[in-house]
Amino acid sequence: MNAKDKMTARLTLLEGVNISPADLETIADEIEDNQRIVAELEAFAQGTPWISFQVQPPEKKA
Amino acid sequence: MAPADIAEMGLADLSARLVARELSSSDAVSSALERLDRLEGKLNAFITVLHNQAQVEAKKADDEIVRGQHRGPLHGVPVTIKDMFETAGTRTTGGSKILQNWIPDADSALVARLRAAGAIIIGKTNLDEFGHGGTSTLSYYGPVHNPWRLEHIAGGSSGGSAAAVAAGIGPISYGTETGSSVRRPASYCGIVGFKPTFGIISRHGSFRGAWSQDHVGLFGRTVKDIALALDPVAGFDARDPASVRQEIPAYASRLKANAQGLRVGVLRRFLDGVDPAVRQSFEAALKIFAGLGSELVDLDVPEIGYAAMTSMLTSAAESAGINRRWFREHYHDFVPHVARGLAVGMAITASEYLTVQRARHRIREVLRATYEKVEIIAAPTTARVAPLLSEGVKGNGDDARHAGYNHSNLLRFPSMLGLPGCSLPCGMSPEGLPIGLQLIGAWFADQTVLNAAAAFQSATDWHKRRPDIAKV
Repeated sequence: MNAKDKMTARLTLLEGVNISPADLETIADEIEDNQRIVAELEAFAQGTPWISFQVQPPEKKA
Repeated sequence: MAPADIAEMGLADLSARLVARELSSSDAVSSALERLDRLEGKLNAFITVLHNQAQVEAKKADDEIVRGQHRGPLHGVPVTIKDMFETAGTRTTGGSKILQNWIPDADSALVARLRAAGAIIIGKTNLDEFGHGGTSTLSYYGPVHNPWRLEHIAGGSSGGSAAAVAAGIGPISYGTETGSSVRRPASYCGIVGFKPTFGIISRHGSFRGAWSQDHVGLFGRTVKDIALALDPVAGFDARDPASVRQEIPAYASRLKANAQGLRVGVLRRFLDGVDPAVRQSFEAALKIFAGLGSELVDLDVPEIGYAAMTSMLTSAAESAGINRRWFREHYHDFVPHVARGLAVGMAITASEYLTVQRARHRIREVLRATYEKVEIIAAPTTARVAPLLSEGVKGNGDDARHAGYNHSNLLRFPSMLGLPGCSLPCGMSPEGLPIGLQLIGAWFADQTVLNAAAAFQSATDWHKRRPDIAKV
């Protein structure tokens, strides 16, 4: 999938909302830059555990 | 006593006089409302003002106090709250057009606790829409103006609350913080802004900016006032999944202005881009702590250089998730900058969000180790003083899109990790705008932070300064 198709795939998440072409361009630029940021954070986080939390009752006991 | 003199009183003083019946709640509320009415045209700090309701409640408070039924330090005291907190029977807008006519039928946890404490809510303050901003210019109801220089911003998103307290409209206001929305406006407006550890104050019934980073916080002119206003509203609430069980809050009675032996960490490499006047005031503040017997510890924690990016993406994804329905049904009713931000957040995938949380965990673990070496991390609250309104949203000079030793990371990491943080005034710029110092503690070391802040205020008088607008 090329870069344009990837962006199109992300923008389908905004379907149903009438966004102006100018806004869409601004949004797309930021989405693309966010992918750069995620890649940096992924490299930074290498070796760190994945975090997940169970939503357990506060009074839980083993 | 003249209304202007009453309006200048802090919470501790006002509360003592109410108990002693030297002043009535009706007088205190009238003074605050008089000042509000006189200054609001210049500040735009309020969305809704409760003239009649507040005066009725003040009368009731006076009757109770006369009968000896004193409820505590907030009884009969005029306070303000950010328009993020659901208030039964009162319009609650979130700074948005979407909710311009919404009247909740139940109180948020904060409002319920304030009512139980006998506080008199006199108004709902202006803010960036649903907390999405750092300027308080992204409100459907217009921007908030800084009481020190009206052509400058008050900071956000809790700018209305900060402006109100700085201008003497009530001694205390309650706001919220997701990224920096208590500490930044406190710094810009020259007052104390305290954000407790995540989960100390219930968020039930307040709008969510980003659920894993949202906090309720307070504004006041002294640390003692903050501690007095914190006790009645802190405490476990099962309706907020993040709420922590704690013993009965007693921050005020345990407040000690003592920094002797405190290890205060300084992250000097993050200060290079800070405005010279801010840097100068910060270094002077460190000397104060040294004089109080604190040990200054130079720290280098490069991992904090990823905090702003991590915080920003976390907020973007969580805000989009929270606003999914309104995004589709009311996109064009949001403030345009906020709407675009939500659109960007909608495009963050689940795996990307989880990757960001992994980075967050790495930063958290590094800070856990850091707080074995120090009790407090001190930094300038913001890299510059309040910018001009005309500079728009970029005026704050934040950079949440690049890793590295930039100050934006020092602003964002406390709320990202849920650490207690207090901003307090530590200087003035050549242009006459306040400069703030922030003290960040370890998880649940809220008392340590408040005590250190109180120690600083005992040795300085920056917190006694008032903007000219409040002196008339």
